[in-house]
Amino acid sequence: MKKNAYEIVDSVEKLEEALAKVREAQKQFATYTQEQVDKIFFAAATAANQARIPLAKMAVEETGMGVVEDKVIKNHFASEYIYNKFKDYKTCGVIEENKEFGIKKIAEPIGVIAAVIPTTNPTSTAIFKTLAALKTRNGIIISPHPRAKLSTIEAAKVVLEAAVEAGAPEGIIDWIDIPSLEMTNLLMREADIILATGGPGMVKAAYSSGKPALGVGAGNTPAIIDDTADILLAVNSIIHSKTFDNGMICASEQSVIVLDGVYKAVKKEFADRGCYFLKKDEIEKVRKTILINGALNAKIVGQKAATIAELAGVKVPEETKILIGEVESVDISEEFAHEKLSPVLAMYKAKDIDDAFAKAEQLIADGGYGHTSSIYLNTVTEQEKLDKFAARMKTCRILVNTPSSQGGIGDIYNFALNPSLTLGCGSWGGNSVSENVTIKNLINVKSVAERRENMLWFRTPSKVYIKKGCLPVALDELKNVMGKKRAFIVTDQFLYTNGHTKPITDKLDEMGIVHTTFFNVAPDPTLACAMEGTEQMRAFKPDTIIALGGGSAMDAAKIMWVMYEHPEVDFVDMAMRFMDIRKRIYTFPKMGEKAYFIAIPTSAGTGSEVTPFAVITDEKSGIKYPLADYELLPNMAIVDADFHMTAPKGLTSASGIDAVSHNLEALASVMATEYTDGLAIESLKNIFEYLPRCYDNGPNDPEAREKMANAATMAGMAFANAFLGVCHSMAHKLGAYHHIAHGVANALMLDQVLYFNAAEKPTKMGTFPQYDHPKTLAKYAKAARACGITGKDDEEVLDNFVKFLDEFKERIGIKPTIADYVPDEKKFLETLDEMSENAFDDQCTGANPRYPLISEIKQMYLNAYYGKNSKADRV
Amino acid sequence: MKLDNEIATRSNKKIYRDGDACIKVFDADYSKSDILNEALNQARIEETGLKIPKVREVTVIDGKWAIVSDYIEGKTLQQLMEENPSKKDEYLDRFVDIQLSIHEKRSPLLNSLKDKMNRKISSGDLDATTRYELHTRLEGMPKHVKVCHGDFNPSNVIITPDDEAYVIDWAHATQGNAAADAARTFLLFSLAGDNATAEKYMSLFCRKSDTARQYVDKWLPIVAASQSVKGKPEEREMLMKWASVVEFE
Repeated sequence: MKKNAYEIVDSVEKLEEALAKVREAQKQFATYTQEQVDKIFFAAATAANQARIPLAKMAVEETGMGVVEDKVIKNHFASEYIYNKFKDYKTCGVIEENKEFGIKKIAEPIGVIAAVIPTTNPTSTAIFKTLAALKTRNGIIISPHPRAKLSTIEAAKVVLEAAVEAGAPEGIIDWIDIPSLEMTNLLMREADIILATGGPGMVKAAYSSGKPALGVGAGNTPAIIDDTADILLAVNSIIHSKTFDNGMICASEQSVIVLDGVYKAVKKEFADRGCYFLKKDEIEKVRKTILINGALNAKIVGQKAATIAELAGVKVPEETKILIGEVESVDISEEFAHEKLSPVLAMYKAKDIDDAFAKAEQLIADGGYGHTSSIYLNTVTEQEKLDKFAARMKTCRILVNTPSSQGGIGDIYNFALNPSLTLGCGSWGGNSVSENVTIKNLINVKSVAERRENMLWFRTPSKVYIKKGCLPVALDELKNVMGKKRAFIVTDQFLYTNGHTKPITDKLDEMGIVHTTFFNVAPDPTLACAMEGTEQMRAFKPDTIIALGGGSAMDAAKIMWVMYEHPEVDFVDMAMRFMDIRKRIYTFPKMGEKAYFIAIPTSAGTGSEVTPFAVITDEKSGIKYPLADYELLPNMAIVDADFHMTAPKGLTSASGIDAVSHNLEALASVMATEYTDGLAIESLKNIFEYLPRCYDNGPNDPEAREKMANAATMAGMAFANAFLGVCHSMAHKLGAYHHIAHGVANALMLDQVLYFNAAEKPTKMGTFPQYDHPKTLAKYAKAARACGITGKDDEEVLDNFVKFLDEFKERIGIKPTIADYVPDEKKFLETLDEMSENAFDDQCTGANPRYPLISEIKQMYLNAYYGKNSKADRV
Repeated sequence: MKLDNEIATRSNKKIYRDGDACIKVFDADYSKSDILNEALNQARIEETGLKIPKVREVTVIDGKWAIVSDYIEGKTLQQLMEENPSKKDEYLDRFVDIQLSIHEKRSPLLNSLKDKMNRKISSGDLDATTRYELHTRLEGMPKHVKVCHGDFNPSNVIITPDDEAYVIDWAHATQGNAAADAARTFLLFSLAGDNATAEKYMSLFCRKSDTARQYVDKWLPIVAASQSVKGKPEEREMLMKWASVVEFE
């Protein structure tokens, strides 16, 4: 068959030269197109297929092992099945693209493959590996086994010559002519990837070479025959598999475990089909023949049953198919429990299926971790048993009613199991792959990922009713449209005793809707308070919840709503921090199944009537649970300034300035959109104009009150979608540690945060695709200009804006520094580090355009404490 | 140095006693480097604190290289086992304990067992397939650095009249995997035809060292192959049988 003369590789130096040549050829091969590669793959597969008989003969002649006709099948399989399965696979250039998501997958060759080929399948494995290398534009160097080197090399030549004829670079496939472990090790060290088929020593050598290896391990396949099995099919499948190439496929059955109930019948079928059951003394003789000191006798591998019997001094008929030893121990000390690579089979009797599973597990542990296991049973009635078997076996192939030799290599008895002569054994077998190794293991896939921006949203309650005095009209549909019958009102004591719930209850009475009122909500509502309300709710069974009040009442009502609808929820889970609300680990329960939720604010600031947020404090641990999910959005918000008219000065200014901070944070947020910007700017303008009037005139300025009511709700909508930022993070902790009203706490941090976010050279930017460069200064300037602030450039506008804000705060009675509210400097400084770290970890920090360092937060706190805001002081 | 009291003769050396000295005189064609290596090994082992005869001198007597060391008075365990068959188990127990005490020692400059085995596999007249299998098997074995005697058998242990044990003949000492050393001892018993003692030794070693039998077994083909280098024809058949095994695929 030899046509060309090749350089003989018989030394380390020659191997180095060969490696360099293959590497050079592969460089050229890497530039080939899919069409060129497919043409080569076709030609090489065809040539290998045509050479299947001479190669099979040569392998048997050289190694003295196996059966020519079976090796023909293996060669046929390695060429035809591999070609058929992978001919249409894309292995060059772009193999996958998704324009919408901006991702492209590009296949690249790996380089040079080191292929170690075993004696048991010397030609078929060589065909398989060289074809796989050609399809993936890799170069390959084969290290054959000394006992099978001529046939392995011949197979490689057949493939190489056909490939070159079809256009492949000269020398893309090469081999070691005179193999030695030293050269194999060198090859493995120098190659880019290793395809090692061999025993544990070889696999170990591959893995210690430092190169990625698709090594495969030893098998010790047990086959269970269950009571429900088709015995005829089971026994004949096992014989078919175990005699295939005289038992040299590593997936081949080594033991058969037969359930007691069918043992006799199985034994009879084996005997009737020409298998020989060894007698007691013969078992002992065969034991000492197949294994020597616990290692497999080289002389029996791939031999006929009769030959092995003769070696053992046992007389059996010449045509005997399999020697079967009926043994009991599955321990490694039992010779029959080992892998035998020959038509010698152990047979065990299992008293029940669990016993069978236990035996199979032990046999796998004896030397077949990760490889293959097999079971025969009725798949219609015994799925449960099969599931249990699959769960217990530490093997990567679990074959059902299938001869394991032909079944394990895939595509013959199951067409979704990839055809391969290299069977991965997973981590159990010390392998990096657990499936049948295919061409996909031989390419590097580059992912070209273009920048994409996140989808954003605008979500708000489906009904937002707006107008001073609109309450009765808004509530009307409860009866007329929705047919609600029972309403549960949540409010605080002050509002209740001062008759603020009366307009609501009057309307409900008028409509004939039964109602009750829970008025025990205190500021910073606690879990205990929410539980109390929930208890009452459970007893009352409302179909409508009406929250009336400021943030506290509305938040408490939201929490009661959650606990009423989902008694099973855990606040720790619900309050889990997230980076992206769409990717959060916790899935919030579905709300609104039991009750419709209406929010009616009584002060202009919190925005809770249109936000998906609620904060609750566990009074026992002091932990605040900030909940955030659009499931928490009220179903209806009623913005009726009639409820705001009598709000006292302090509340008016604190909630009003809170709304200012909502707007400024929503504007700066990395998640800001034109939708939220529009709302925030319009809201800001109105607050600057009308808040001082509300503050001054109180109940006597309905126009200003209504403007403020709407401005606060608009600010709520803006931050319900754009979220907040580090100002709120710091205000939350400042409020919690030093008992400062929420709005005031925000007001105290505002100046610091404006300059912090406006920095054009921030220490770290916020991480969000839309936020592509530091651009918050421009954003602030734009909003400030809209509010009438001027300046020669953005920086001056910001300076003037900060000045304006300082005056504005003073105008509505808010003092300038933290020190004004926390005179105990020592206490402030003591809590500072803890407060800074907790502020850093606040949920609000995530949307901030500048990612703060903890030290930066600390400095902002210090500046705000001492009222430092000069250029030199700024963070 | 008086060479009139010959106490033992081996195939290529003679051993004499001169007072409290023991003189090992090698044949003229014996490799000089092997002799120097043996003396060096012995010196290194002395430094581990094990009880062994100390090297006094390496010299040339009548054109022949010789190693002079302490003479240890006493009987070998081999002799004791033969003289008191009823106490053989007791001696075997002690024999294993002594071997384990050697394995506890470290001597970083000793030759590597693995290198030595690899060399021996290559230099024997094994066929290419067997060599390849054995090299691969050896490559897969864990690499340790325990002091291994390399020829540990009862004739190399001397029990003094004060019942102290001295281990002699450090020519084959290496550092490596103790299981290989045990496999070698098992092989020596087996070659001597004493299968019962070989088995007893193996179980004792495995139990006392908490080693799996299979782990020691894995070394048998390798030590058998390295032993075959010595090429005694009567042992060859058994050694070749032990060495002709394959790893699972």
